[in-house]
Amino acid sequence: MTDITDFDCDYENKWCPGCGNFNILAAMKEALAGMKLSPENVLIVSGIGQAGKTPHFLKCNFFHGLHGRALPVATGAKLANHKLTVLVSSGDGDCYGEGGNHFLAAVRRNIDITLLTHDNKVYGLTKGQSSPTSDMGFVTKMQRSGVISEPFNPLSVALSLGAGFVARGFSGEKAHLAGLIRAAVSHKGFSLVNILQPCVSFNHLNTNGWYKKRVVKVAETGHDPADWNTAMHLSREWGDRIPIGIFFQKQGPSFTDRIAHLNEGPLVERTYDSAAVQAMLNGI
Amino acid sequence: MQTDISILIGGQAGQGIQTVGELLARMCQQAGLSVFAVNDFESRIRGGHSFFQLRISERRIQAPSRHIHLLVAMSGETHALHRQKLVEGGICLIDSAEDGAGEGAVAVPVTQLATEAGGKIMANTVAAGACLGLLGAPFEQFQAIITDRFSGADANVRENNLDAARAGYRAVASINFQWKPVWRDMSSEGMLMNGARALALGALAADCRIGAFYPMSPATGIMQQLSELSDTYPLVVEQAEDEIAAINMTIGAAFAGVRAMTATSGGGFCLMTEGLGLAAITETPVVIVNAQRPGPATGLPTRTAQGDLLFVINAAQDEFPRFVFAPTGMDDAYAVMIRAFDLSEKYQVPAIVMTDQYFNDSFALTDGPFDAPHGHDRYTVSDADMADPSAYKRYAFTGNGISPRALPCNGQALVCAAGNEHRQDGHISEDREDRNAMVEKRSAKLSAMQSEMRPPAAYHVDGSRTLLVSWGSTAGAVQEAVSRLRDAGEDAGCLVMADIWPFPAAAFQEVARGADTLITVEQNATAQLGRLIRQETGMPVAHSILQYDGRAFCVEDIVDQYHQLN
Repeated sequence: MTDITDFDCDYENKWCPGCGNFNILAAMKEALAGMKLSPENVLIVSGIGQAGKTPHFLKCNFFHGLHGRALPVATGAKLANHKLTVLVSSGDGDCYGEGGNHFLAAVRRNIDITLLTHDNKVYGLTKGQSSPTSDMGFVTKMQRSGVISEPFNPLSVALSLGAGFVARGFSGEKAHLAGLIRAAVSHKGFSLVNILQPCVSFNHLNTNGWYKKRVVKVAETGHDPADWNTAMHLSREWGDRIPIGIFFQKQGPSFTDRIAHLNEGPLVERTYDSAAVQAMLNGI
Repeated sequence: MQTDISILIGGQAGQGIQTVGELLARMCQQAGLSVFAVNDFESRIRGGHSFFQLRISERRIQAPSRHIHLLVAMSGETHALHRQKLVEGGICLIDSAEDGAGEGAVAVPVTQLATEAGGKIMANTVAAGACLGLLGAPFEQFQAIITDRFSGADANVRENNLDAARAGYRAVASINFQWKPVWRDMSSEGMLMNGARALALGALAADCRIGAFYPMSPATGIMQQLSELSDTYPLVVEQAEDEIAAINMTIGAAFAGVRAMTATSGGGFCLMTEGLGLAAITETPVVIVNAQRPGPATGLPTRTAQGDLLFVINAAQDEFPRFVFAPTGMDDAYAVMIRAFDLSEKYQVPAIVMTDQYFNDSFALTDGPFDAPHGHDRYTVSDADMADPSAYKRYAFTGNGISPRALPCNGQALVCAAGNEHRQDGHISEDREDRNAMVEKRSAKLSAMQSEMRPPAAYHVDGSRTLLVSWGSTAGAVQEAVSRLRDAGEDAGCLVMADIWPFPAAAFQEVARGADTLITVEQNATAQLGRLIRQETGMPVAHSILQYDGRAFCVEDIVDQYHQLN
């Protein structure tokens, strides 16, 4: 039996007091423990940014790599051992900015990993520049007259690429978020949970209070997650009403399911077969 | 007198020049002859001018020669571009349909014969038949090769190609070609393959299970070969969204416990350099092939170079140990790949294998069959090897810099890796003591890594006062150049380097100590190996024979430049 505290780690936390990340971390622990997973059964891959530090604060196996490159590392690990439970902890800058191409490719592959994107709409670690998801007009020390590009919409993009699990959570709704993460990890195939969170240090627009007034749980509105068209519509809603929850879910064969060699077991479990290799060499 | 002739078959891209060349090379191999073939083509899918230059001899050959004995012009351009390379008594065959017939070239109705055999697409097969007719090859043997080549095709296609080959063979019956090799009814000992294939077979034999790549000439062939092997062997080749993804996927796969590789060329390697550093600081074993081409930037996509030596040795920010190898031939490429995977895991460092377009696309005979290793040491640990798995630290200090490597989700031991500077347990640390200790831990591997490096291969070194020194793919050309120089009375030997980094300085000094003049032979403009030798050994490098036009060294290029030095 696993307990939430099994995932506690004594490494000193380095986030700002009041950061939305604390609730995301708590929701992750709750989801993993609720699924009876234990730290030694979980691999978390992360990139750079405050979200990238997450696996240091949660007991697990982890690979904390480069800015924007968590998804390809996770994809490689999953190809090597498709029995692994792999989560990616990324952020709006890491995943949609630096790693945008990998995001598109991961969705298209339908690789069975769970992508948790901490979306605070601002660069925190580099102290307050706009991010790909910043709203138009968002003023920073760098974007002095406000952001002049349209925000990246990860949910619409994921849906348009045929993603099988697309959800949005909010760090201020911890129990709801834990449920989303649990559903995402349980989903066989690529799952995206884009997590809205405040940045207490650098985003004074999209604050906790700002979100609290706006978020609406789609499950409570009778949304059917099998309905792609409505999911697409929900993904484009932003402003006075911000939908959260599972927008879309559809099971299908994942990337590793489609590779015949992997049906016989993970590559990492294959032992070297000298006779088979020699037969290949002789066959030239 | 042994035969030593070269055939150049040229035409437009899309005319099947390479197919003719490979058929002829296969024929030679099956008739007990040695062959070496270079593939020269432009960066385009149709048109332009490309050629396949095949050298044939009864004795072992490992490099191209500049002199052409038989020129087969599938287009008039071939004749114009290459006729000055024809030796005295050499023949140029040209398709009667092309301009240039009559200007010293023998017109053969290649296209017409192909059309009669079933379609002008088989002009290349007619040309192959004509070549073999001139060379006095037994047609029955070629018939078997064509039958085999088209075994998967429709019976009509097979028959038409046989008719086309026969028509070409007969069309030249009255032409006297003075060089005819001895065709035997037995195969040569070695296997015929190109460098890309040798590298892929080495990866297979090294137990590589995942290859991630993004297409880039001239590296694509390696991954295409690996992909073909995956038809029947459980390994996975994935075309990544870009080179950055390719190296990071390779790292992820290796972290999870399989042997993994990627292959690219210089531009792609540039994109991979941050990943190279990630492999280094996370101490994840990966193998990267850099098949060089001229640069910078796009440079000459389908041509050859050795311009990335110092870049690869120094690539990525800051300092860390890595292996760099540059195979010197087909057999060496197979062996180097196996060693690269092994040493990369043994020391938990990235290993880079440097080849080039010339090597990847050239065909040669191996020395013999390739033997699969009996087994591979994987240098990993699991819970059973630990007194207390819960206390496992991925970057534990051990004295030699190599920490016991466990695999993630393989027991109680948690495997925590970070590209940030870290503590022994993998968690981020900015402490001065941790930083110094980790830099020193990684660097501590270097001396043992250096002891793994093979000394340069030496030819005619004893007593030679002048040594040519080469690295990688030019080995065959340099060795033959040395033989010719010695035949001409020159006092010269050569050193051929395949194990480049950590530079085997002591071994190099030992083998080169008797010489008083070192001359590097390199396909770059600034003599990068020369600089490396001076830096690592303090030995003076007097001259360098350099070529950076994107074309491979012919033996004569080296001999001529040598004479110009004196």
